[in-house]
Amino acid sequence: MQFCRVRSVAEAVDELSRWGTEGRILAGGTDVMPQYLRGEQSPAALIDISGIDGLQGISEVGGVTSIGALVTMRRLATASLVQLRYPALAQAAALVGAWQTQTVATLGGNICSAAATADTLPALLVADAQLMLVSKSGRRRVSLEELLEGPGVTALRPTELLRAVEVEPLGERGAEGYVKVSRRSAMDLAVVGLALRLSVTPSGVISGVRIALCGGARAAHRVPTAESLLLGSQLSGDIDVFGAVGEELARAVGPAVSPEAHYRRRVLRGLFDRLARRCTAQIPGASG
Amino acid sequence: MSVLGTSPERSDADAKLRGQAIFGADLSRTGMLWAALARSPVAAGRIRAIDPAPALRGDGVLEVLTSADVPDWRTGVIVSDTPLLAAGSVAYEGEPVAIVVAESRTAAEAGARAVALDIETAEPVSTPEQALEPGARLVHPDWNRFAVAGGEDIGRNGNVVAEVVHDPGDLDEAFAAADIVVEGTYRTPRQYQAHLEPKMALATYESGRFTIEVSHQYPFRLRDRVAQITGVAPSAVRVVGHHIGGGFGAKLDVSLEAFVALLARRFRRPVRMQHTALEERLVAPCRANAIVAVRSAVRRDGTILATDVEIVSDSGAYANNGPALSSIPMFVFGSIYRVGTARIRTRNVYTNTAPTGAYRGVNGPWLVFANERHMDAIADALGRDRRDFRLASLARDGDLMRNGQPLTEASILREAFDRVDELAPWRDIVSRNQAQRGIVSRNQAQRDAGARTSQPAESDADVLRGAGQAAAIWLTNPMPGHATVKLNEDGTATVITSATENGSGAVATGLRQIAAETLGLAADAVTITMPDTDATGYDAGSQGSRTTHVVGRAIADAAADVRTQVLDRASRMLEAAPEDLVITDGVVTVAGVPAASLTLGAVAQAATWSDGPITAGASYVTPTPPHDPACATGMLIKGWPTPTYHLHQAEVSVDTVTGRVTVDRYVVCQEVGRAIHPDAIAGQIQGGVAQGLGFALSERVDLDHGRYVQRTFKAHGLPLAEDVPKVEMIVMEHADPAGPYGAKGAAEPPIVPVAAAVANAVSDAIGVPFDTLPITPEAVLEALEAEPNGETVARAAREPVVNRDGEQERETTGRAS
Ligand SMILES: Cc1cc2nc3c(=O)[nH]c(=O)nc-3n(C[C@H](O)[C@H](O)[C@H](O)COP(=O)(O)OP(=O)(O)OC[C@H]3O[C@@H](n4cnc5c(N)ncnc54)[C@H](O)[C@@H]3O)c2cc1C
Repeated sequence: MQFCRVRSVAEAVDELSRWGTEGRILAGGTDVMPQYLRGEQSPAALIDISGIDGLQGISEVGGVTSIGALVTMRRLATASLVQLRYPALAQAAALVGAWQTQTVATLGGNICSAAATADTLPALLVADAQLMLVSKSGRRRVSLEELLEGPGVTALRPTELLRAVEVEPLGERGAEGYVKVSRRSAMDLAVVGLALRLSVTPSGVISGVRIALCGGARAAHRVPTAESLLLGSQLSGDIDVFGAVGEELARAVGPAVSPEAHYRRRVLRGLFDRLARRCTAQIPGASG
Repeated sequence: MSVLGTSPERSDADAKLRGQAIFGADLSRTGMLWAALARSPVAAGRIRAIDPAPALRGDGVLEVLTSADVPDWRTGVIVSDTPLLAAGSVAYEGEPVAIVVAESRTAAEAGARAVALDIETAEPVSTPEQALEPGARLVHPDWNRFAVAGGEDIGRNGNVVAEVVHDPGDLDEAFAAADIVVEGTYRTPRQYQAHLEPKMALATYESGRFTIEVSHQYPFRLRDRVAQITGVAPSAVRVVGHHIGGGFGAKLDVSLEAFVALLARRFRRPVRMQHTALEERLVAPCRANAIVAVRSAVRRDGTILATDVEIVSDSGAYANNGPALSSIPMFVFGSIYRVGTARIRTRNVYTNTAPTGAYRGVNGPWLVFANERHMDAIADALGRDRRDFRLASLARDGDLMRNGQPLTEASILREAFDRVDELAPWRDIVSRNQAQRGIVSRNQAQRDAGARTSQPAESDADVLRGAGQAAAIWLTNPMPGHATVKLNEDGTATVITSATENGSGAVATGLRQIAAETLGLAADAVTITMPDTDATGYDAGSQGSRTTHVVGRAIADAAADVRTQVLDRASRMLEAAPEDLVITDGVVTVAGVPAASLTLGAVAQAATWSDGPITAGASYVTPTPPHDPACATGMLIKGWPTPTYHLHQAEVSVDTVTGRVTVDRYVVCQEVGRAIHPDAIAGQIQGGVAQGLGFALSERVDLDHGRYVQRTFKAHGLPLAEDVPKVEMIVMEHADPAGPYGAKGAAEPPIVPVAAAVANAVSDAIGVPFDTLPITPEAVLEALEAEPNGETVARAAREPVVNRDGEQERETTGRAS
């Protein structure tokens, strides 16, 4: 196996086009190395992008935030911009593995691995993440929803590099959060991860809802049927709408074929209620 | 100044922290060969053929041996039922079938994988229930031909490896007189020791003798077992012990050592083996899974008239020490609480699973789990406060245990209840938890009534809280120990013993302190040897909290003898009577005359070059306590020597959304005789509680058709640092007259009551009995849903049913099974 250390995006896309399906990008390596050691992957070349400065950094241009592919979980969890404008993402990043994992694991790696249990994906989905991809033949921009084709399967071409992720900030009267349930209190993958972003009008009507899940049999995904239940409802109304949304989410994760799936369905009902209350409590006047 | 009750640094701390300590797994020898085992991939089957050819084609592979190439007799600690390599049939997944010898570890392991095994699989006997079904397939059709050590009758019969029966014969009468009968069935899974250093062994063969180098808890047992398997005299085997990276009971018997011995003799080269992580998991001698059914006849005033206990524990495919451990129920039921007349039957049975064995607190965690869950069930049935009911039921000084042994210090446990209550008052906790249940039910009622849902709930409105207690009386293992103490010519002392430092600090601190105290030295002036069966008297290993008590006593006696010799020599040198001399910090002084002094070094040198070096040896075995030898059949452990007393109190919160249980507060009150090294005791308590919490809540050792489901550390689910609260500890001292400076055992028991206390707390929180371990989030959610009308807070109402008109009407409470 060849180890190629690249210094720029240009070098990276050159190597990618040279190796094609035989090449594999190495960022933090927290997915690549275990797979390699278990013999599940044996690429001809590992293309180490960790030294590309251009993939670092979090910037804000014209109200849109761009997060470099190499930004680590630790950075996402602690950066004040992320905590303030993308709290669900900060919360999700802080729940990846343990401190050690977070120090090396990158956002780009979490996205491109596209594991069904990838914690940042629901948070990115509720922030309508757009991915900036680059290859030798040019650039393209795809939404995260389009990119995710299945658990561990993406629309990323073998010659493409993820450069950055653009996310839409939380509005004035908005709130969001991410909750994760796993078997152990740390260092464990999600049995279920749930992200919610809400915006509410001054009169207390829910004007925007995004709900996304991970941890099931599918890749992380939004749940439109649950979102529409909530959209337009009055927060100070007296219907148990959170309960209904929880039920819908439980339905959306599919039949309880395994004990784990059964548990996931059970948990989701109360989990949504908990997360929704936590979010609405943060919106001024919304919980009146 | 006394060194007892202080916490000097461990002798091995520096080397272990710096990574300089040589563990068994670090050992290597010039010209060393490696060997690896091909193991049965199935739980049961008939071996049709073993083809070594694919393995032999591997680079560096020298030979493949099968049962035809090794001694063909069966051996065992108690029942000689275990072949070295399976012949004819396999009885569990992981059973050794062939051994591959190679020039390197990689080659040996690749070879082991390559050996072609042709096995006709059979339907395994997977559970103890199955093993006991009438007409069940026999795990060993030829069980009747296996010899039993000492020719003892241990009640073997088909799949029953051992049966211990205690039956005073008066139970029916007592049950007829009962107001209520309370019944429960308590089920617990296996528990895996999960020590970090894998099992290994290194053997050399020279001048007709084996030297086995190993990290092992019980070098002398190893000596005897290797001799038994290889067919040589025990004195032809020398076992040398190295630092141990954890054992918890898993390193008490032979495993790879006999293989390396035979191969070292065959190849006349050093041979080394070591388990892979998967092998560790597959063949670990886990704590046995067990089912304990308890039925009690109770009077309305709370008197327990009779208790009927029926126990089945899983031995796995071979007997190991299961028959001996089957005596332990006799020391749990009726020793802690008065349980009336009791019938106790324990059956240890064969299944097609990996043999179970010793794990810290053998059988204790599940016996105390059953005993204490049952106490809660009775208290609930009577409508009594659970602590009050325990206090009223506590055994008293002079009561007899079921083996007829008098409880001489039972009142220590009552004191423990008081001490814990001072620190964490039960009544306050119970009323706080009740108030919290009120919050949760109001919150739920509001939601059910369709009240405004977006209200932020009161901060922890979906958390239920509960508290539980569990008590235990645990033994200090009595088995023999020996020590030689020598005074070095520089005035320091060396203790020569095969007592084994298994991590607790018993050797690295406690034993050194005992020698230092007796000799008037600082603890760091005492060196202690690593085990070597050629160089020391017999030692029964690191098990059952015995080292400080038994070996400590031998050391105290030997050191006292050394001290006498020192004073005798010094009195001649100082021209003073021995009784006028004091030894402090390595200096002998005539009392009141500071100028008249000599260092111990000067005394030792003078002695060595005149009368000869100053040394002394001593042995100790704890005598078996008085008991009734006819109390039960099949009993191999007759008494419960040097008991210690324990009360644990757990407070938990249960997240009603996720089902996760968090242990908020954990209090341990433990009686230790005398605390030699308080920090080491604290370490044992914290660690024991952590292991107990794993057993109660998170660890998984599931079997599916005889095969383990979880096969990695990750899947196993040990508790993380985050899951274990800082344990609050109360250490009580009631000196044991026979112990060194009063010390009893302290290391093993902190694991024993944990699962019981936690299960009682969770059951209290939810109002549903948890009689099966582990209490997983899934199980919690299921229990919450099973509550009528989703009412998560109402405690199950259990009306005691009273005898009417001589007609018995009984209600059975406890979980339906
Ligand atoms: C102990 C441990 C615990 C973990 N716990 C969690 C957890 O709780 N939650 C969770 O979500 N994940 C967890 N993970 C998985 C992992 O840490 C994350 O998926 C991580 O974000 C991957 O990032 P990385 O930089 O390490 O990726 P790498 O391993 O370097 O790469 C991952 C994949 O993405 C590709 N890739 C990486 N960067 C790019 C790019 N810029 N462009 C194109 N392709 C790219 C690689 O080729 C590879 O296929 C855990 C991993 C470990 C080892």
